[in-house]
Amino acid sequence: MIHERIFWLLGLGVVLSPAMLLVSVGLTSLLRFPLSERNMARATQVAVLFGLTCAVLVLGLMLATGIRNVQVEFGDWVVIHPEDFHFHLKFVFDRLSVPFAILTFVLTGTIGAFASHYLHREPGYHRFFFLYAIFLVGMILASLAGTIEVLFFGWELVGLSSALLVAYFHERQSPVINGQRVWSVYRIADAAFLIAALMLHHLTGGGDFEKLMGSGSWPDSVAAITPNQALVVGLLLLVAAAGKSALVPFSGWLPRAMEGPTPSSAVFYGALSVHLGTFLLLRVSPIIELSLPLQLAIVALGVITAVYAALVARVQSDVKSALAFASLTQVGIITAEIGAGLRYIALIHIIGHACLRTLQLLRAPALLQDYRLLENAIGGHLYAEPGWWDRFIPERFRLVLYRLSLERGMLDSMIDEYLVRPFIKVFRWCDTMERRWSSFLAGNPAGRIIHEPLAVPEPAGDELA
Amino acid sequence: MVEATTAAVPTQEADLQADGLEHLVHTIEHIAHVLPSQGPIQVFIHHNTLHAFEHLSFHDAVKQGGATYGCHPYLPEDRYRQHLARGRIQFEDLAAVLIDDLGEEADHLVSFLGTRHQLRLAMLEHPLRLGPDAELRWLIAETDALRRFREETPPSKREQMIEQTRRWVLRDLSNGSPNENRDAREALASLFEQFGAAGIENWNDATWEAFTLHALWRICHQGVHAVPRFAPLPAPLVRHRDIILQATGIDTDRIVHDVLIRFCGAFLDQGIADWPLPTRELGFFQAFVELYKDARQVDGWLSPLGAELHRIADAQLSAAEVIDENLRRLGVSAGETEEFLSRTMLALRGWAGMIWQMETNAEWIVHRTPHGSLLGFVAVRLLLDRLAVEYVARTELGNGSELQDLRSLARSKIQHASRVSVEQRTFLIFQLAQVLGWTPEALSKLAKSDWSRLVEEIETFSALDRRRIFHLAFERRYRNQVLDAFLIHSQHVAPPSDLPTFQICCCLDEREESFRRHLEEVEPRCETYAFAGFFAVAMYYRGAVEAHHVPLCPILIKPQHYVEEEVVYSLEQTHRARQKTRRVLGKAKHKIHLGSRSGLAGALASIVGSLASIPLVARVLFPRITARVSRLFDSLVQPPALTRLTLERSDPTPGPENGHLGFSLTEMTGIVERVLRDIGLTKRFSRLVIIAGHGSSSMNNPHRAAYDCGACGGGCGGPNARAYAFMANDPRVREALAQRGIRIPPDTFFIGAMHNTCDDTLTFSDLDRLPPSHRGDFEQASAVIKRALCRNAHERCRRFESAPLSITPEAAHRHVEARSEDLAQVRPELGHATNAVCYVGRRWRSQGLFLDRRTFLTSYDPTQDDAERTILTRILQPAVPVCAGISLEYLFSYVDSTGYGCGSKLPHNIASLVGVMDGPVSDLRTGLPWQMVEIHEPLRILFLVESTPAAMQSILEKNPVIQQLVVNEWIQLALLDPDSPSVQLYRAGRFEPYVPESKELPIVSSSVDWYRGSRDHLGFASIVPNVSRRISSKGQA
Repeated sequence: MIHERIFWLLGLGVVLSPAMLLVSVGLTSLLRFPLSERNMARATQVAVLFGLTCAVLVLGLMLATGIRNVQVEFGDWVVIHPEDFHFHLKFVFDRLSVPFAILTFVLTGTIGAFASHYLHREPGYHRFFFLYAIFLVGMILASLAGTIEVLFFGWELVGLSSALLVAYFHERQSPVINGQRVWSVYRIADAAFLIAALMLHHLTGGGDFEKLMGSGSWPDSVAAITPNQALVVGLLLLVAAAGKSALVPFSGWLPRAMEGPTPSSAVFYGALSVHLGTFLLLRVSPIIELSLPLQLAIVALGVITAVYAALVARVQSDVKSALAFASLTQVGIITAEIGAGLRYIALIHIIGHACLRTLQLLRAPALLQDYRLLENAIGGHLYAEPGWWDRFIPERFRLVLYRLSLERGMLDSMIDEYLVRPFIKVFRWCDTMERRWSSFLAGNPAGRIIHEPLAVPEPAGDELA
Repeated sequence: MVEATTAAVPTQEADLQADGLEHLVHTIEHIAHVLPSQGPIQVFIHHNTLHAFEHLSFHDAVKQGGATYGCHPYLPEDRYRQHLARGRIQFEDLAAVLIDDLGEEADHLVSFLGTRHQLRLAMLEHPLRLGPDAELRWLIAETDALRRFREETPPSKREQMIEQTRRWVLRDLSNGSPNENRDAREALASLFEQFGAAGIENWNDATWEAFTLHALWRICHQGVHAVPRFAPLPAPLVRHRDIILQATGIDTDRIVHDVLIRFCGAFLDQGIADWPLPTRELGFFQAFVELYKDARQVDGWLSPLGAELHRIADAQLSAAEVIDENLRRLGVSAGETEEFLSRTMLALRGWAGMIWQMETNAEWIVHRTPHGSLLGFVAVRLLLDRLAVEYVARTELGNGSELQDLRSLARSKIQHASRVSVEQRTFLIFQLAQVLGWTPEALSKLAKSDWSRLVEEIETFSALDRRRIFHLAFERRYRNQVLDAFLIHSQHVAPPSDLPTFQICCCLDEREESFRRHLEEVEPRCETYAFAGFFAVAMYYRGAVEAHHVPLCPILIKPQHYVEEEVVYSLEQTHRARQKTRRVLGKAKHKIHLGSRSGLAGALASIVGSLASIPLVARVLFPRITARVSRLFDSLVQPPALTRLTLERSDPTPGPENGHLGFSLTEMTGIVERVLRDIGLTKRFSRLVIIAGHGSSSMNNPHRAAYDCGACGGGCGGPNARAYAFMANDPRVREALAQRGIRIPPDTFFIGAMHNTCDDTLTFSDLDRLPPSHRGDFEQASAVIKRALCRNAHERCRRFESAPLSITPEAAHRHVEARSEDLAQVRPELGHATNAVCYVGRRWRSQGLFLDRRTFLTSYDPTQDDAERTILTRILQPAVPVCAGISLEYLFSYVDSTGYGCGSKLPHNIASLVGVMDGPVSDLRTGLPWQMVEIHEPLRILFLVESTPAAMQSILEKNPVIQQLVVNEWIQLALLDPDSPSVQLYRAGRFEPYVPESKELPIVSSSVDWYRGSRDHLGFASIVPNVSRRISSKGQA
């Protein structure tokens, strides 16, 4: 009993501290009393440290008591009776969520300290930390979510803040365009996620992971749906994960996300955001286990992504893109591990990879110095040796492979050309049809399209001769 | 006969074509000089951003350069107005500068309303608002613009205008003869109705004010109606992309650059990618053709690319031929070719410039770029441009094949740019009339020709001219302050007579100014000197742990000599062992570095990657301690501290091989003599002479080289100082010097040192050679230096917002140390920011003057120079271009941070190891980042030289480089008379005596008393120790 009380309090601390940060940063900005740089940094520090302490205490308590699955309930927030829908705020502390939450706190905390120096005197300092707070809340909600709705809520917050951070330098054109692109890909992922969530609701009558995955704590739980149902839901979730984790064919957005300031690129796209898709797969791994085709599909997608990204990473000539694809390589491998059922290895892999990549991305601007030190140590120029598999590729094919890697597999072009363009065409056609139809109804006998008059500016005074 | 002619014609044609191609190549190489001339970023040389325009005068160049690059010529007008409001620019500066600028035209009468000078001054003083017509109409209808006078109008003028209008109306308009003022009467007829003419005698003040303004508006409106246009029409667009962008909103550059930048990056890459471009050896153009000719493209616009490239490959067309062909197919006529090519190349100028630099000017890089790469770049770019334009023409403009006429078709779709309307002109004059007190009556008497002249007067004093005048005033204020300060200060200083405790010679860098000032404050009996930081030792240098030779000398000099650092023989074995360990560790590190980015090895690295969180957290949260710990580990594999420079050469010819390293005895003597004579240290040697080079250390900083010593070609000057000290200590050199007239006493010991300007530490070299007799002197000097460094750090900290103003000198030192080790620090130090002056003269004349780290200080003793001014000439030869380069690069990077500079550092991404991009794909960004120039004041550097006009004139005549910079006003020049406190200022070809503005200079007892509590630029002050009581007693009195 006393355990439950303590767990509840600690859980509250973990969730509430980022939320309080968001509220204080958001409200002060809204009320036009923006915090000073120093106070902003301090608030972030306090919130992250408090949350981290609570999370570590939860872990310690779990280890001490041997309890492996703690549920913290905050009741129903929305209840719609006829549809029997309820938004149930519930968090789960188990062997998956606690390490992930701790990782989130450690990395975002470090980045927060980094950014408070890095963005000193930057006009968008407040905006950055506001988005940072949204991101932190999103990550914590998503990692501790006990129901699929809460996970989706966190997932959305992460997506929103990520896209806005990509477009951080909104006075230039390309960050905005790329931010929009990231956002569009996220929408596809979100749509798939939402459909999957609805299906799960229909299948099990609620969004609670406990019901979905059956009893038992992660990773030993067993899901209570049929393999075919699992396949459909799993594939939808795989699409969602692929969008969020930039798996093939959505990989094009990852390097584009490197538009923001270095710390946000490092922690979000190098380390946390990009792993959120794999986290989702880990969370629903009992479902994956049910269907062999689903497992194979996940392994295949992971392997394809890993091979693709490893090739592409090798030819990138700018450091941030190279690291983005290096990151993607590992995400692909992690996905394959999840598909193969190696859950603990995947979790350890995620944590290790996130730390390593964050460090590498933060140090990216020091590349020139690092190379120079290496050259000095080695006593000559650095030459990359060809990979072991280069020998097996014929000369002619090597050039093709190089070109494809340089063009990043033309994935973005394919999406644009085969998906976006037909999509727009169809809707333009629909638009035209609708106009015709409405003009027909309006009694325009010729059925011609009536264009809305363009906003013609009034003649500007009398023009000078 | 017939056969002969037919044979001759093709060859003639071929000749003609060959001539044409050669001309094309020539044109492109000509345009290449306008591209940014920044080379690979490892070596950063400050240079004038508008170097290509140096043959023009400064003001013409910023105008032309601004048009070429689409950049600001000066700061925006608002910024200058803020300076005016803050008192940084004063009203008399504007008036004086304007008088100078107008010359005889200042008194030119603009009709009877006033002189040109008055009109322009009013335009400078009061911001004239101007907006689109809709805004103006709103302003007139919805605000009280026509009911209340502008706030700037002086009350007296307002009263006067209303009163005069009242009299005019009552006297002439409502009762006067109908023939007079017919125009005015017509114009105002409806106004009387509106205001109720019947009650005119009962109108109150507010009504009269409104009536006056309404009348003013109408009369202005009537007056400017049908006045012809004066401003020249903007030049028509030539690039298809620009025209299409305006016509359809589609930017073809976006899609073209995406492909082009990726390829440029791969082609220039110096080692970021593990898999280099396989076709790189073929040169830019062929590499592109080979790589892409068999590609099946997905993008619609690129689909014809494969076929095009196949055709090019089959016909074996050269890059020049492809350029020629594409120009023709795009319908570019011969007359506009140069303009078109220039616009095309400047559209991606960072990459184009880098290719040109690597092709012509960077022989030291690993993967060289073959000759003709820029030509290839232009060929590829034009080909891609054409494909993109064709595609957009097909899909958006409904134009299938005819590219020739595309531009006129697209132009026809562009909506007319708005022109200056009558409303806008009316509003301009309406605003001016209020501040200058032009009454409606006076204006109503202007004839049409007067109106025309008035409008012309106003419109020809364009925003550009106003900004120029503001800029000149901005410079004038600071110049007058500097000159006044020097004049007043040098009245009560005297040359030193005591034998100094020690002497130190630093770099002329303005960052050393405060260090020297603090040294002199801590130990008034020391003497400081400055020479360009390479100390005349021009060499290729390789340290004991370094892999390559780097040039350490000004960029203008190509070193002939090679010097290496060697570990002393007795420690050779340790050195070897450690070298081996380093190599093994280095190779392992490199493997891990590459592996972590690959698949399987990366997976292994990631599984243990949680360990990376330790350095990650430690580095970010505790930079200073982490750096110490890691240095401790490093020291285990660093070479032993005892090393020697291979300075002495026995072989007659210098070179990089063993035996040819170093300098001959005569060369050494020459070097030692040169520096001593230049700085004027030929007698009164103290027992200890310290030679201090400088460099800077910072983390995570692609622009790191820009903080190092400019006189060492963006390298670190420590080895030069060390070499110099070694040479000067050599008894044989001293003997030879004695024969040349410089007698260095045997008990004088030279010691080399390196000042790290970022963390403010000074490291001495070759201390093991310090004679026991000098240990006491050294310890005293080093204690003084330590204190001075703390104070220096303290003074620097006043500029860092993250250091509290109440910080102690010791804490300040810790603060700057942490800065240099902090991964997150984008301003490790502030570099040359705020530099504004270069003083060339004896130190004692500037000693004790607070110069706020804004003044380059070069030691020069005019009394020791010969009649030809040999010494001054050889000081100025490198100093003028180097300092001008620094000053102008900072100026332009500040004036237009995104255009001339490289914008904010935050999104920077190292590309190909040669430069930085914004985010994942952008042009290479050249110039300085905003964080470096943030606190700069964009001023042209003022050279203040201790010399006479005649001497300076003859130096100018003999040195075209200096002359061009001075005559074209890229730098300002003033002469401080060697014998008296008087200054001559260079103006329009001659020196004129400068009349001081003020006679007061604050006196304080120490630097900190002057700068304490302030973060802004500070004025000048004389520092006289123990004077505080005097000032305070004065204050009480």
